[in-house]
Amino acid sequence: AALGLYFPRKEYLENVYIDEPAGMPLLRIRALKDSHEEVAHFHLCQNLIISRARSHENNWFQIREKTGVLYLSKSLDREDFNMLSVGNWMPLSKVMLYVFLSSHPFQEKECDSATRTAVFLSLINATAPACSSLTARQLCFTEMDLSFHIKENKPPGTFHQLQLPSVHHLCQNLSISYKLLAAEGVPFRYNESTTGVEVTQRLDREERERYELIAKCTVREGFREMQVEVPFLVNVLDEDDSPPFLPNGTDTADAVVEFSRKEGTVLSTLTVYDADTTPIYPLESSRKKYTGTIITDDPWISETFRVEHIFDEIHFSPNGSQVRGTRHEYKLVLNKSISVTEHRSFQLDVLVNDTEFHGPERSVMLHFNVSILPVSIQFSNITYQFTVNRNAERFAQIGKICIENCMKFRGVNITYKLLSPNASCYPVSILQGREDKYGTLYVNDSSVLRRPECKEVQYIVQAMDKQSRKHTKTLLTVVLEGTFLKKEEDCPDSCAISKHRAECEECGGLGVLTGRCQWRQGSGKGITTNYSTCTPSIKTCPDGICDVVEGRDPAVCPQDCTSGNIIGGHGKGIGNLGIKSGHGICYCFPRQNCYCEKDDIKEQLCDDVCKTVI
Amino acid sequence: LAGPPSPPGLAPPGWRVPVDCVRANELCAGEPSCSSRYRTLRQCLAGRDRNTMLANKECQAALEVLQESPLYDCRCKRGMKKELQCLQIYWSIHLGLAEGEEFYEASPYEPVTSRLSDIFRLASIFSGMDPATTSKSNHCLDAAKACNLNDNCKRLRSGYISTCSRELSATEPCSRRKCHKALRQFFDRVPSEFTFRLLFCSCKDPACAERRRQTIVPSCSYEDKDKPNCLDLRGTCRTDHLCRSRLADFHTNCQATFQSLTSCPGDNFQACLGSYAGLIGFDITPNYVDASTTSITISPWCSCKGSGNMEEECEKFLRDFTENPCLRNAIQAFGNGTDVNLSP
Repeated sequence: AALGLYFPRKEYLENVYIDEPAGMPLLRIRALKDSHEEVAHFHLCQNLIISRARSHENNWFQIREKTGVLYLSKSLDREDFNMLSVGNWMPLSKVMLYVFLSSHPFQEKECDSATRTAVFLSLINATAPACSSLTARQLCFTEMDLSFHIKENKPPGTFHQLQLPSVHHLCQNLSISYKLLAAEGVPFRYNESTTGVEVTQRLDREERERYELIAKCTVREGFREMQVEVPFLVNVLDEDDSPPFLPNGTDTADAVVEFSRKEGTVLSTLTVYDADTTPIYPLESSRKKYTGTIITDDPWISETFRVEHIFDEIHFSPNGSQVRGTRHEYKLVLNKSISVTEHRSFQLDVLVNDTEFHGPERSVMLHFNVSILPVSIQFSNITYQFTVNRNAERFAQIGKICIENCMKFRGVNITYKLLSPNASCYPVSILQGREDKYGTLYVNDSSVLRRPECKEVQYIVQAMDKQSRKHTKTLLTVVLEGTFLKKEEDCPDSCAISKHRAECEECGGLGVLTGRCQWRQGSGKGITTNYSTCTPSIKTCPDGICDVVEGRDPAVCPQDCTSGNIIGGHGKGIGNLGIKSGHGICYCFPRQNCYCEKDDIKEQLCDDVCKTVI
Repeated sequence: LAGPPSPPGLAPPGWRVPVDCVRANELCAGEPSCSSRYRTLRQCLAGRDRNTMLANKECQAALEVLQESPLYDCRCKRGMKKELQCLQIYWSIHLGLAEGEEFYEASPYEPVTSRLSDIFRLASIFSGMDPATTSKSNHCLDAAKACNLNDNCKRLRSGYISTCSRELSATEPCSRRKCHKALRQFFDRVPSEFTFRLLFCSCKDPACAERRRQTIVPSCSYEDKDKPNCLDLRGTCRTDHLCRSRLADFHTNCQATFQSLTSCPGDNFQACLGSYAGLIGFDITPNYVDASTTSITISPWCSCKGSGNMEEECEKFLRDFTENPCLRNAIQAFGNGTDVNLSP
């Protein structure tokens, strides 16, 4: 800013009483300078702001242009007081004035300089109290806390007046003296002759940013002496006077692109420190002050990479005291997904620039050693072999198909497909979820399993990368084993319907691997994720995830997939699907309700009467 | 120099009862001179600050005419019909009149005249017990029971609890927007004898204090991955008329003052607690930071990290929640079932 003068406070506070005489000083405002030559001129905006909406012409208050003493130019009588109080919202009437500051005499009565401070005057509906009725606290200090801010790197000067002008004016028979209690070497001094507090030297925020002193006041009236102490705080305001630097001198980092190739992947991070503070509010302007730019002529590089800048506050301890500083992190990020075939390495330079620092070392260069490695699309096993029981039902999950390193892939879309060699025996299929990196092999046609001529079926599995169309194949053998057993009659088609262990384990249902449902015995304590239930396969159901095969038919695993009502103590799963936790035994009627309840009649299933019948 | 005690709960002399802004807008629309000046003023205010606006003769004339109209000091009521519309009218006039960076803003809401003692009277009627004699019980549990016995309270409470605890996906634990909306409905539509008991119950053991902390389902409505800077959060709140009004109301009613015994403006606990509850369901939602029984610490979900040269201001803003004697006294007084004794 062109104007170096500033106020050491954002607002001042003072009381005004009815019928105080014209000429009465209320408050002395001090300003600090940018250079010794500057002279401060104070000016009042001729507008009293009453409540937020209402305002009134200022007929009562004036400020001395040279000294900053705010005084009553006209006594405030009861009528004035009532007029200013009308429409005031708070129980206490307050008016606000703006005081402006300029380095030259005010020409016109302008009201819009950026350098201003607010003075709040509490209008008190009484005449000024007698000096004898005031406490030492009231005689020495106002209600305003003594807290100031001083800019670093500015010349010394007086920034506060301890003596209260109104008290000094009214209570002349009292002796009021002040002292500033401070540790040795603190750059503040109380000047007894002016009652002003001075900062005695240029401050450096990077050395120390907060000074806590005590203002002590002694009031003497004849032989009576009273003392009062209040905290006196000075915060040092920061300006950009430190260049960026590298922690441990590290300016180089490796950035390897291999399995993660997705847009948005963070490849590597380098850190830059700065002893200055950086406000995170407003965020965008701080980002603009501290830039990070990729230096390159290669359009491919500027399209493929971007730099993300985040920063946070850290603490430095220059000499025992803690001061705030900034850690800037520059992350090299993929700006688009990279094809699996891409293969190159190069050095990528990022120029970091502290735009508001005015020294020669305002920028540092960061280097990323980028290596983009191709990934191969291939199966690690030469062949897959799975065995399937002839009693398996439709939607039984046989196994997973996955190419080498497939679970590490990000931003590589592999699709799996079965190429069937003979059309007559074709019991299995492959399904792949939208986000799945693997294919799930499952029984698609259980009637084929029962046919004696189908014994060992061979397939070719193909995996293909969507983007590059690169693909690979391998052999898959499905061996049918076991003998087909006739199904129990009266069994439901879903395992989840069974409420008891016995009926569960003697029936089959959709998705079973060996012709029988499996019983999961829960812990039985309250509402738990480990509830008791009947399922086609404990491995896949319920596991809290409604996978792509289970999602095909609501009868396979409603415990993971139901979106209907659940009656009884339970917790719902992610996205309101399935039963995440339940009380006792949970069972479901597919496409209808699920129930979770404690099985209280377990022992009574066969009571004395029933035994007698047997 | 301390002022004399302010008249408790009474309007200052000469203070006229304001009409609500929706009504004031209707009155103004019926008068050609008022409505044209109102239009002019709204154009004047668009994108200009107070001083540049006042420099314009036409704008100044519009302002002077409107000073006499009911629009000028119209107010809104919490939970009134068309509350948002009312606040929009209020801010359409006041936004440009306020200085942008004003620390405290005046509340657009009517002052609260009821007292905590009114709640205690009601509470002892419906619960059939005197709050002072049940010192051994878990007050927060009692509050939940009392709410469940009231159809309206039970419905809206279970409404926000189920909304706030519904998991959307592995990365999104809940819909914060819907949770906040449900919370706002609860605190706007359920009488404060129920809501205050849930929010401000007094506790002697951690289980009770944890229940108190959990009242607003903080995992969804309060906590977030990152803690923003408090001034940033205030800035976000001020872009929204409702949030801005509730925050201004909180500052008006809970701002600690030396001028009263309780540190609260006008010694009015009820007003402070009401404006605290009015913040729940907005970006600035406050809550108990822990389940401590001995010290009550309240804070919105923000910190003063990264404030730069604004750290002093940020700390001041945060302290109005974390170290506010008015708010603390009000919560304790509610928990103890004691109100300020008002001398007639």
